[in-house]
Amino acid sequence: MQSLLADFLDKSQATFSLVIDRGGAILCQQGSLSGSIDFSILAALAAGSFAATKELAARLGEPEFNTLHHQGKHANILVSTVDDDVVLMTVFGPETTVGLVKFYAVSTVSYLAALLKEARTSRDSQVAISKSDLDTVGNIFPQ
Amino acid sequence: MSIINYVNKEVQFKIVYYGPALCGKTTNLTYIHGHVGDASRGELVSLATAADRTLFFDFLPLNAVAVQGFRTRFQLYTVPGQVVYNATRQLVLRSIDGVVFVADSQWDKMQENVESFHNLRDNLALQGMDLSRIPYVLQYNKRDIPRSAPVHYLEYILNNQPVRMPSFESVATTGAGVFATLNAVSRLLLAKLVCESEEAADASKARAAATAVTTPLGIASAQLNGNQS
Repeated sequence: MQSLLADFLDKSQATFSLVIDRGGAILCQQGSLSGSIDFSILAALAAGSFAATKELAARLGEPEFNTLHHQGKHANILVSTVDDDVVLMTVFGPETTVGLVKFYAVSTVSYLAALLKEARTSRDSQVAISKSDLDTVGNIFPQ
Repeated sequence: MSIINYVNKEVQFKIVYYGPALCGKTTNLTYIHGHVGDASRGELVSLATAADRTLFFDFLPLNAVAVQGFRTRFQLYTVPGQVVYNATRQLVLRSIDGVVFVADSQWDKMQENVESFHNLRDNLALQGMDLSRIPYVLQYNKRDIPRSAPVHYLEYILNNQPVRMPSFESVATTGAGVFATLNAVSRLLLAKLVCESEEAADASKARAAATAVTTPLGIASAQLNGNQS
């Protein structure tokens, strides 16, 4: 997934991309942004925004809006649907165009959807945490 | 649904603070934000109206302990409590892992508490989720108010079931009970992750054992077919 995003950023000349689930969790990220930005906040806001827009579409009788484009003075955001649960958020600047980013986003989301489908059906990976490990953890957040 | 990142060795959980309007959901997050070290938390983001009423959600990312090399991250959300914002509450509930239901202990808020609890159950059902299968805790907030209902009454109207969920008294403005609540729901989520992980490991072993049983026969039949041809 990482190399797929790297290839997408390279071809589209976008700056940064996040693969986000509908709950706002980051599944994968690639690229960088100037300034100290908390990517988890970006993901939460993007997921909320996309969810609200999807609901708007439903009220209008549309199955969904596949992409959302927010245009700013120096930065733009493109949010594209990967599947029912996941979106791809891309940040790009004036060095590229929304058309070019959208063009490469189409194939990227298709590959991402295939990767995610494969990952969801894989049953091999588990978290090696046992009940006794939990017993050794005191307060998760100190009071 | 918790997100496990095996590359970064990270587990993420989404916890939503739910409850009627003005019960103390945002106050909980504000207190937590102010009393967790900078390295353990991100910025508190509030999408609110001009009157500081939650419009869409509040969001606070927290980093917590590492267990067996896996860092745990908790994303705390609140929902808008006002009745008119039910559609946005449904959006915030997507892919949740745990819930903190914050009840207002004032006597005249009892009906709102119950309606909000039923609303939570209904909104989860719309997303195909069952509250009885989601880790949640109850927080009885505003215990400092003179006209507060007794805890056993709140337990009766909100926690009256064969298996009672953990409940905590709190005064979110001073922080009393805030971290106890958060720690409880976090431990429930970790415990659920461990259970699911152990179940998956058992299932994997059973599949491997079933495959091992069939392989000797498979080799034998191939040899037979080779001899016959």
